[in-house]
Amino acid sequence: MSKKGKIRVLIAKPGLDGHDRGAKVIARALRDSGMEVIYTGLRQSPEDIVEAAIQEDVHFIGLSILSGAHTHIFPRVIELLKEREASDIKIIAGGIIPDEEIPKWKEIGIEAIFGPGSSTNDIINYVKGS
Amino acid sequence: MNEKEIIERLKKKDVRAVARLLTFIENEDELAENILKKIWKHTGNSHIIGITGPPGAGKSSIVDLLTKISIEKGLKVGVLAVDPTSPFSGGAVLGDRLRMTSAQDPGIFIRSVASRGHLGGLAATTRLMINAIEMLENDITIVETVGAGQGDVEIVQIADTTIVVEVPGLGDEVQAQKAGILEIGDILVVNKGDRPGSDRLSKELAMMLSLGEEKEWMPPIVTTTAINGDGFDKLWEEINNHKQYLGTEKRNAMRLKRINYELENQVSQKLFTKKMIQIGNSEIPNMAKEILNRRIDPLTAVEKIIRE
Repeated sequence: MSKKGKIRVLIAKPGLDGHDRGAKVIARALRDSGMEVIYTGLRQSPEDIVEAAIQEDVHFIGLSILSGAHTHIFPRVIELLKEREASDIKIIAGGIIPDEEIPKWKEIGIEAIFGPGSSTNDIINYVKGS
Repeated sequence: MNEKEIIERLKKKDVRAVARLLTFIENEDELAENILKKIWKHTGNSHIIGITGPPGAGKSSIVDLLTKISIEKGLKVGVLAVDPTSPFSGGAVLGDRLRMTSAQDPGIFIRSVASRGHLGGLAATTRLMINAIEMLENDITIVETVGAGQGDVEIVQIADTTIVVEVPGLGDEVQAQKAGILEIGDILVVNKGDRPGSDRLSKELAMMLSLGEEKEWMPPIVTTTAINGDGFDKLWEEINNHKQYLGTEKRNAMRLKRINYELENQVSQKLFTKKMIQIGNSEIPNMAKEILNRRIDPLTAVEKIIRE
Protein backbone atom coordinates (compact mmCIF):
# COMPACT_ATOMS: atom_id res chain seq x y z
CA MET A 1 0.00 0.00 0.00
CA SER A 2 1.25 3.48 -0.79
CA LYS A 3 1.80 5.95 1.98
CA LYS A 4 -1.54 7.60 1.37
CA GLY A 5 -3.41 4.31 1.66
CA LYS A 6 -6.13 4.00 4.25
CA ILE A 7 -7.61 0.96 5.87
CA ARG A 8 -11.14 0.57 4.54
CA VAL A 9 -13.71 -1.41 6.50
CA LEU A 10 -17.30 -2.29 5.63
CA ILE A 11 -19.54 -2.53 8.67
CA ALA A 12 -22.71 -4.47 7.99
CA LYS A 13 -25.68 -5.56 10.00
CA PRO A 14 -27.10 -8.66 8.36
CA GLY A 15 -30.25 -10.44 9.40
CA LEU A 16 -33.45 -9.07 10.81
CA ASP A 17 -32.63 -7.70 14.24
CA GLY A 18 -32.49 -3.92 14.38
CA HIS A 19 -30.05 -3.41 17.24
CA ASP A 20 -27.34 -1.49 15.46
CA ARG A 21 -25.88 0.41 18.38
CA GLY A 22 -22.87 -1.90 18.50
CA ALA A 23 -22.23 -1.54 14.78
CA LYS A 24 -22.40 2.24 15.09
CA VAL A 25 -20.03 2.31 18.06
CA ILE A 26 -17.50 0.25 16.12
CA ALA A 27 -17.91 2.39 12.99
CA ARG A 28 -17.23 5.50 15.01
CA ALA A 29 -14.24 4.01 16.86
CA LEU A 30 -12.62 2.88 13.62
CA ARG A 31 -13.24 6.30 12.09
CA ASP A 32 -11.57 7.98 15.06
CA SER A 33 -8.56 5.76 14.58
CA GLY A 34 -8.16 7.05 11.03
CA MET A 35 -9.89 4.38 8.99
CA GLU A 36 -12.51 4.80 6.28
CA VAL A 37 -15.64 3.01 7.34
CA ILE A 38 -18.45 2.21 4.94
CA TYR A 39 -21.61 1.74 6.94
CA THR A 40 -24.30 -0.12 5.04
CA GLY A 41 -27.11 -0.12 7.54
CA LEU A 42 -29.66 -2.66 8.66
CA ARG A 43 -31.03 -5.86 7.15
CA GLN A 44 -28.33 -6.55 4.60
CA SER A 45 -28.28 -9.87 2.78
CA PRO A 46 -24.98 -11.72 2.36
CA GLU A 47 -25.21 -10.92 -1.37
CA ASP A 48 -25.56 -7.18 -0.63
CA ILE A 49 -22.61 -7.30 1.73
CA VAL A 50 -20.23 -9.11 -0.58
CA GLU A 51 -21.12 -6.96 -3.59
CA ALA A 52 -20.61 -3.81 -1.53
CA ALA A 53 -17.30 -5.07 -0.13
CA ILE A 54 -16.00 -5.71 -3.64
CA GLN A 55 -17.13 -2.38 -5.07
CA GLU A 56 -15.73 -0.54 -2.08
CA ASP A 57 -12.47 -2.54 -2.22
CA VAL A 58 -12.34 -2.93 1.55
CA HIS A 59 -9.74 -4.82 3.55
CA PHE A 60 -12.23 -5.99 6.16
CA ILE A 61 -15.91 -6.84 6.48
CA GLY A 62 -17.25 -6.38 10.00
CA LEU A 63 -20.47 -8.29 10.68
CA SER A 64 -22.60 -7.45 13.68
CA ILE A 65 -25.16 -10.12 14.50
CA LEU A 66 -27.16 -10.55 17.69
CA SER A 67 -30.03 -12.71 16.58
CA GLY A 68 -28.40 -16.07 16.06
CA ALA A 69 -28.60 -15.67 12.30
CA HIS A 70 -24.82 -15.97 12.11
CA THR A 71 -25.15 -19.74 11.70
CA HIS A 72 -26.61 -19.05 8.26
CA ILE A 73 -24.86 -15.79 7.41
CA PHE A 74 -21.21 -16.60 8.21
CA PRO A 75 -20.95 -19.58 5.85
CA ARG A 76 -22.86 -17.76 3.12
CA VAL A 77 -20.65 -14.67 3.18
CA ILE A 78 -17.52 -16.84 3.13
CA GLU A 79 -18.90 -18.87 0.22
CA LEU A 80 -19.84 -15.76 -1.80
CA LEU A 81 -16.40 -14.22 -1.28
CA LYS A 82 -14.87 -17.44 -2.59
CA GLU A 83 -17.16 -17.42 -5.61
CA ARG A 84 -16.10 -13.87 -6.42
CA GLU A 85 -12.41 -14.70 -5.88
CA ALA A 86 -12.34 -12.17 -3.07
CA SER A 87 -11.29 -14.33 -0.14
CA ASP A 88 -8.47 -11.88 0.59
CA ILE A 89 -11.12 -9.67 2.20
CA LYS A 90 -11.04 -10.59 5.88
CA ILE A 91 -14.15 -11.06 7.99
CA ILE A 92 -14.42 -10.02 11.60
CA ALA A 93 -17.57 -10.39 13.65
CA GLY A 94 -19.20 -9.08 16.76
CA GLY A 95 -22.44 -9.46 18.64
CA ILE A 96 -23.79 -12.56 20.31
CA ILE A 97 -21.77 -15.56 19.18
CA PRO A 98 -21.69 -18.47 21.68
CA ASP A 99 -18.17 -19.07 23.03
CA GLU A 100 -18.22 -22.77 22.23
CA GLU A 101 -18.84 -22.03 18.55
CA ILE A 102 -15.95 -19.62 18.11
CA PRO A 103 -13.28 -22.22 17.16
CA LYS A 104 -15.60 -23.61 14.51
CA TRP A 105 -16.19 -20.22 12.91
CA LYS A 106 -12.53 -19.36 12.98
CA GLU A 107 -11.76 -22.59 11.23
CA ILE A 108 -14.06 -21.84 8.28
CA GLY A 109 -12.71 -18.34 7.79
CA ILE A 110 -13.93 -15.78 10.32
CA GLU A 111 -10.69 -14.03 11.28
CA ALA A 112 -11.72 -12.73 14.69
CA ILE A 113 -14.80 -12.53 16.87
CA PHE A 114 -15.35 -9.76 19.38
CA GLY A 115 -18.14 -10.48 21.82
CA PRO A 116 -19.82 -8.27 24.42
CA GLY A 117 -17.33 -6.36 26.57
CA SER A 118 -14.60 -6.21 23.93
CA SER A 119 -12.77 -2.92 24.02
CA THR A 120 -12.79 -0.82 20.88
CA ASN A 121 -9.02 -0.44 21.28
CA ASP A 122 -8.56 -4.20 20.98
CA ILE A 123 -10.56 -4.17 17.76
CA ILE A 124 -8.64 -1.21 16.34
CA ASN A 125 -5.31 -2.83 17.23
CA TYR A 126 -6.39 -6.08 15.68
CA VAL A 127 -7.44 -4.46 12.41
CA LYS A 128 -4.30 -2.34 12.22
CA GLY A 129 -2.09 -5.28 13.09
CA SER A 130 -3.28 -7.67 10.42
CA MET B 1 -3.58 -7.80 -8.79
CA ASN B 2 -0.68 -6.33 -10.72
CA GLU B 3 -0.82 -3.72 -13.46
CA LYS B 4 -1.13 -6.15 -16.33
CA GLU B 5 -3.81 -8.22 -14.65
CA ILE B 6 -5.86 -5.14 -13.82
CA ILE B 7 -5.72 -3.87 -17.40
CA GLU B 8 -6.71 -7.31 -18.73
CA ARG B 9 -9.62 -7.47 -16.32
CA LEU B 10 -10.68 -3.88 -16.99
CA LYS B 11 -11.13 -4.78 -20.64
CA LYS B 12 -13.61 -7.44 -19.53
CA LYS B 13 -15.47 -4.86 -17.44
CA ASP B 14 -14.49 -6.69 -14.26
CA VAL B 15 -15.92 -5.00 -11.15
CA ARG B 16 -13.08 -6.00 -8.88
CA ALA B 17 -10.46 -4.55 -11.21
CA VAL B 18 -12.34 -1.25 -11.37
CA ALA B 19 -12.65 -1.21 -7.58
CA ARG B 20 -8.93 -1.84 -7.18
CA LEU B 21 -8.02 0.84 -9.71
CA LEU B 22 -10.20 3.29 -7.77
CA THR B 23 -8.21 2.46 -4.65
CA PHE B 24 -4.92 3.10 -6.44
CA ILE B 25 -6.24 6.42 -7.72
CA GLU B 26 -7.40 7.46 -4.26
CA ASN B 27 -4.05 6.54 -2.77
CA GLU B 28 -2.26 8.44 -5.52
CA ASP B 29 -0.34 5.27 -6.21
CA GLU B 30 2.01 5.24 -9.20
CA LEU B 31 0.26 2.15 -10.51
CA ALA B 32 -2.87 4.24 -11.08
CA GLU B 33 -0.97 6.62 -13.35
CA ASN B 34 0.43 3.79 -15.42
CA ILE B 35 -2.96 2.15 -15.83
CA LEU B 36 -4.83 5.38 -16.56
CA LYS B 37 -2.38 6.24 -19.31
CA LYS B 38 -3.21 2.96 -21.00
CA ILE B 39 -7.00 3.07 -20.67
CA TRP B 40 -7.53 6.80 -21.28
CA LYS B 41 -8.81 6.38 -24.82
CA HIS B 42 -11.60 4.09 -23.66
CA THR B 43 -12.98 6.57 -21.14
CA GLY B 44 -15.14 9.69 -21.31
CA ASN B 45 -18.30 8.10 -22.64
CA SER B 46 -20.79 8.55 -19.83
CA HIS B 47 -23.13 11.42 -19.11
CA ILE B 48 -21.88 12.87 -15.83
CA ILE B 49 -24.56 14.05 -13.43
CA GLY B 50 -23.48 16.02 -10.36
CA ILE B 51 -25.71 16.18 -7.31
CA THR B 52 -25.00 18.74 -4.63
CA GLY B 53 -26.78 20.52 -1.80
CA PRO B 54 -26.66 20.96 1.97
CA PRO B 55 -26.20 17.99 4.36
CA GLY B 56 -29.40 16.05 4.87
CA ALA B 57 -31.16 17.57 1.85
CA GLY B 58 -31.73 14.08 0.45
CA LYS B 59 -28.93 13.79 -2.10
CA SER B 60 -28.31 10.09 -1.50
CA SER B 61 -32.01 9.28 -1.59
CA ILE B 62 -32.29 11.15 -4.89
CA VAL B 63 -29.33 9.20 -6.28
CA ASP B 64 -31.06 5.99 -5.18
CA LEU B 65 -34.27 6.87 -7.00
CA LEU B 66 -32.39 7.97 -10.13
CA THR B 67 -30.49 4.67 -10.22
CA LYS B 68 -33.79 2.80 -9.91
CA ILE B 69 -35.24 4.68 -12.89
CA SER B 70 -32.05 3.96 -14.84
CA ILE B 71 -32.36 0.24 -14.16
CA GLU B 72 -35.94 0.33 -15.43
CA LYS B 73 -34.75 2.01 -18.63
CA GLY B 74 -32.00 -0.58 -19.04
CA LEU B 75 -29.18 1.90 -18.43
CA LYS B 76 -26.00 1.20 -16.50
CA VAL B 77 -25.00 3.61 -13.77
CA GLY B 78 -21.83 4.33 -11.83
CA VAL B 79 -22.04 6.32 -8.61
CA LEU B 80 -19.31 8.13 -6.70
CA ALA B 81 -20.62 9.29 -3.33
CA VAL B 82 -18.28 11.64 -1.48
CA ASP B 83 -18.41 12.13 2.29
CA PRO B 84 -16.08 14.21 4.47
CA THR B 85 -12.89 13.00 6.07
CA SER B 86 -12.31 13.93 9.72
CA PRO B 87 -9.74 16.71 9.96
CA PHE B 88 -8.62 15.25 13.30
CA SER B 89 -8.24 11.52 12.81
CA GLY B 90 -8.10 11.31 9.01
CA GLY B 91 -10.84 8.70 9.20
CA ALA B 92 -14.34 8.82 7.79
CA VAL B 93 -17.73 7.19 8.11
CA LEU B 94 -19.13 6.81 4.62
CA GLY B 95 -22.86 6.40 4.91
CA ASP B 96 -24.27 7.28 1.50
CA ARG B 97 -24.57 3.62 0.60
CA LEU B 98 -27.15 3.28 3.36
CA ARG B 99 -29.76 4.99 1.18
CA MET B 100 -28.83 3.21 -2.00
CA THR B 101 -31.07 0.20 -1.92
CA SER B 102 -30.51 -0.91 -5.50
CA ALA B 103 -26.76 -1.30 -4.97
CA GLN B 104 -26.89 -4.99 -5.69
CA ASP B 105 -28.28 -4.69 -9.23
CA PRO B 106 -25.68 -5.80 -11.79
CA GLY B 107 -26.14 -2.55 -13.72
CA ILE B 108 -25.11 -0.43 -10.74
CA PHE B 109 -21.67 0.29 -9.35
CA ILE B 110 -21.40 2.42 -6.23
CA ARG B 111 -18.23 3.63 -4.59
CA SER B 112 -18.09 5.63 -1.36
CA VAL B 113 -15.30 8.17 -1.40
CA ALA B 114 -13.77 10.09 1.51
CA SER B 115 -12.79 13.67 0.71
CA ARG B 116 -9.38 13.13 2.36
CA GLY B 117 -8.91 16.76 3.25
CA HIS B 118 -9.84 18.19 -0.14
CA LEU B 119 -12.17 21.19 0.01
CA GLY B 120 -14.82 22.15 -2.51
CA GLY B 121 -17.20 19.21 -2.06
CA LEU B 122 -15.24 16.50 -3.85
CA ALA B 123 -12.04 14.51 -3.37
CA ALA B 124 -8.89 15.58 -5.25
CA THR B 125 -9.04 12.48 -7.39
CA THR B 126 -12.75 12.43 -8.24
CA ARG B 127 -12.25 13.27 -11.90
CA LEU B 128 -9.89 10.36 -12.47
CA MET B 129 -12.18 8.06 -10.53
CA ILE B 130 -14.97 8.85 -12.99
CA ASN B 131 -12.69 7.73 -15.82
CA ALA B 132 -11.93 4.47 -14.03
CA ILE B 133 -15.64 3.71 -13.53
CA GLU B 134 -16.26 4.40 -17.21
CA MET B 135 -14.35 1.20 -17.98
CA LEU B 136 -17.62 -0.53 -17.00
CA GLU B 137 -19.20 1.15 -20.05
CA ASN B 138 -21.85 2.76 -17.91
CA ASP B 139 -24.26 5.18 -19.57
CA ILE B 140 -24.44 7.54 -16.63
CA THR B 141 -22.01 8.50 -13.87
CA ILE B 142 -23.56 10.21 -10.86
CA VAL B 143 -21.27 12.15 -8.55
CA GLU B 144 -22.75 13.04 -5.17
CA THR B 145 -20.82 15.73 -3.34
CA VAL B 146 -20.13 16.19 0.34
CA GLY B 147 -23.01 18.02 2.01
CA ALA B 148 -22.20 21.40 0.53
CA GLY B 149 -22.03 24.91 1.90
CA GLN B 150 -22.64 27.99 -0.18
CA GLY B 151 -19.22 27.97 -1.78
CA ASP B 152 -18.69 24.30 -2.61
CA VAL B 153 -19.04 24.60 -6.32
CA GLU B 154 -16.27 22.37 -7.64
CA ILE B 155 -18.78 19.86 -8.99
CA VAL B 156 -19.58 22.24 -11.84
CA GLN B 157 -16.05 21.66 -13.17
CA ILE B 158 -16.78 17.97 -13.50
CA ALA B 159 -20.46 17.36 -14.25
CA ASP B 160 -22.23 17.69 -17.58
CA THR B 161 -25.49 18.23 -15.75
CA THR B 162 -25.40 19.70 -12.26
CA ILE B 163 -28.38 19.23 -9.97
CA VAL B 164 -28.59 21.45 -6.89
CA VAL B 165 -30.87 20.08 -4.17
CA GLU B 166 -32.51 22.50 -1.76
CA VAL B 167 -34.99 21.88 1.04
CA PRO B 168 -37.51 24.18 2.71
CA GLY B 169 -36.75 25.78 6.06
CA LEU B 170 -33.13 26.83 5.65
CA GLY B 171 -33.45 30.56 5.19
CA ASP B 172 -35.37 33.48 3.76
CA GLU B 173 -35.55 34.66 0.18
CA VAL B 174 -32.33 36.66 0.43
CA GLN B 175 -30.48 33.35 0.69
CA ALA B 176 -31.72 32.61 -2.80
CA GLN B 177 -30.16 35.81 -4.12
CA LYS B 178 -26.66 35.05 -2.92
CA ALA B 179 -23.88 34.01 -5.22
CA GLY B 180 -22.49 30.50 -5.12
CA ILE B 181 -24.09 27.12 -5.13
CA LEU B 182 -27.49 28.13 -6.49
CA GLU B 183 -25.85 29.61 -9.57
CA ILE B 184 -24.30 26.35 -10.69
CA GLY B 185 -27.49 24.29 -11.00
CA ASP B 186 -28.59 23.21 -14.45
CA ILE B 187 -31.58 21.79 -12.61
CA LEU B 188 -32.79 22.98 -9.21
CA VAL B 189 -34.57 20.44 -7.04
CA VAL B 190 -36.77 21.28 -4.08
CA ASN B 191 -36.73 18.02 -2.14
CA LYS B 192 -38.92 17.08 0.83
CA GLY B 193 -41.80 18.49 -1.19
CA ASP B 194 -44.26 17.17 1.41
CA ARG B 195 -42.87 19.59 4.01
CA PRO B 196 -44.43 22.98 4.65
CA GLY B 197 -42.62 25.76 2.83
CA SER B 198 -41.66 23.77 -0.25
CA ASP B 199 -44.04 25.71 -2.52
CA ARG B 200 -42.69 28.95 -1.20
CA LEU B 201 -39.07 27.88 -1.72
CA SER B 202 -39.90 26.84 -5.25
CA LYS B 203 -41.39 30.30 -5.91
CA GLU B 204 -38.39 32.04 -4.37
CA LEU B 205 -36.04 30.09 -6.59
CA ALA B 206 -38.14 30.96 -9.64
CA MET B 207 -37.97 34.60 -8.61
CA MET B 208 -34.21 34.38 -8.24
CA LEU B 209 -33.89 32.95 -11.73
CA SER B 210 -36.20 35.56 -13.24
CA LEU B 211 -34.04 38.36 -11.85
CA GLY B 212 -30.92 36.99 -13.49
CA GLU B 213 -29.85 37.40 -17.07
CA GLU B 214 -31.65 35.52 -19.79
CA LYS B 215 -29.75 32.33 -20.56
CA GLU B 216 -30.05 29.84 -23.36
CA TRP B 217 -30.76 27.12 -20.81
CA MET B 218 -33.00 28.30 -18.01
CA PRO B 219 -32.71 25.88 -15.07
CA PRO B 220 -36.03 24.17 -14.40
CA ILE B 221 -37.20 23.87 -10.80
CA VAL B 222 -38.48 20.42 -9.89
CA THR B 223 -40.21 19.58 -6.61
CA THR B 224 -39.55 16.03 -5.42
CA THR B 225 -40.44 13.90 -2.42
CA ALA B 226 -37.85 11.16 -2.12
CA ILE B 227 -39.78 9.10 0.42
CA ASN B 228 -42.63 8.39 -2.00
CA GLY B 229 -41.03 9.04 -5.38
CA ASP B 230 -43.14 12.07 -6.30
CA GLY B 231 -41.60 14.29 -8.95
CA PHE B 232 -38.92 11.87 -10.09
CA ASP B 233 -40.41 11.26 -13.55
CA LYS B 234 -40.23 15.00 -14.04
CA LEU B 235 -36.64 15.16 -12.76
CA TRP B 236 -35.63 12.34 -15.08
CA GLU B 237 -37.28 14.17 -17.97
CA GLU B 238 -35.41 17.39 -17.17
CA ILE B 239 -32.09 15.55 -16.96
CA ASN B 240 -32.73 14.20 -20.44
CA ASN B 241 -33.83 17.62 -21.69
CA HIS B 242 -30.54 19.07 -20.48
CA LYS B 243 -28.58 16.25 -22.04
CA GLN B 244 -30.34 16.85 -25.35
CA TYR B 245 -29.82 20.59 -25.08
CA LEU B 246 -26.08 20.04 -24.63
CA GLY B 247 -25.80 17.54 -27.46
CA THR B 248 -22.32 16.42 -28.38
CA GLU B 249 -21.21 19.83 -29.56
CA LYS B 250 -21.95 21.92 -26.45
CA ARG B 251 -20.84 19.11 -24.19
CA ASN B 252 -17.49 18.82 -25.89
CA ALA B 253 -16.98 22.60 -25.87
CA MET B 254 -17.66 22.56 -22.14
CA ARG B 255 -15.36 19.61 -21.55
CA LEU B 256 -12.59 21.19 -23.63
CA LYS B 257 -12.70 24.30 -21.48
CA ARG B 258 -12.37 22.20 -18.35
CA ILE B 259 -9.54 20.11 -19.71
CA ASN B 260 -7.69 23.32 -20.50
CA TYR B 261 -8.22 24.57 -17.00
CA GLU B 262 -7.30 21.24 -15.46
CA LEU B 263 -4.15 20.95 -17.57
CA GLU B 264 -3.08 24.40 -16.50
CA ASN B 265 -3.61 23.38 -12.88
CA GLN B 266 -1.66 20.17 -13.24
CA VAL B 267 1.24 21.87 -14.97
CA SER B 268 1.46 24.62 -12.37
CA GLN B 269 1.20 22.03 -9.59
CA LYS B 270 4.11 20.04 -11.06
CA LEU B 271 6.18 23.17 -11.62
CA PHE B 272 5.45 24.25 -8.08
CA THR B 273 6.60 20.94 -6.64
CA LYS B 274 9.76 21.01 -8.74
CA LYS B 275 10.64 24.54 -7.68
CA MET B 276 9.93 23.81 -4.01
CA ILE B 277 12.31 20.87 -4.09
CA GLN B 278 14.89 23.13 -5.67
CA ILE B 279 14.46 25.74 -2.96
CA GLY B 280 14.89 23.12 -0.25
CA ASN B 281 13.95 23.07 3.41
CA SER B 282 16.24 25.64 4.95
CA GLU B 283 15.78 28.73 2.81
CA ILE B 284 12.27 29.62 3.96
CA PRO B 285 12.83 29.25 7.75
CA ASN B 286 16.08 31.24 7.47
CA MET B 287 14.37 34.02 5.63
CA ALA B 288 11.49 33.99 8.12
CA LYS B 289 13.91 34.83 10.95
CA GLU B 290 15.32 37.67 8.90
CA ILE B 291 11.80 39.02 8.35
CA LEU B 292 10.97 38.77 12.07
CA ASN B 293 14.09 40.72 12.96
CA ARG B 294 13.26 43.34 10.35
CA ARG B 295 16.46 42.72 8.42
CA ILE B 296 14.47 42.11 5.25
CA ASP B 297 10.88 42.75 4.20
CA PRO B 298 8.62 39.86 3.11
CA LEU B 299 8.23 41.09 -0.46
CA THR B 300 11.97 41.25 -1.14
CA ALA B 301 12.38 37.93 0.66
CA VAL B 302 9.97 36.19 -1.71
CA GLU B 303 11.73 37.55 -4.76
CA LYS B 304 15.10 36.56 -3.38
CA ILE B 305 14.01 32.98 -2.63
CA ILE B 306 12.50 32.49 -6.07
CA ARG B 307 15.55 33.86 -7.85
CA GLU B 308 17.95 31.60 -6.05
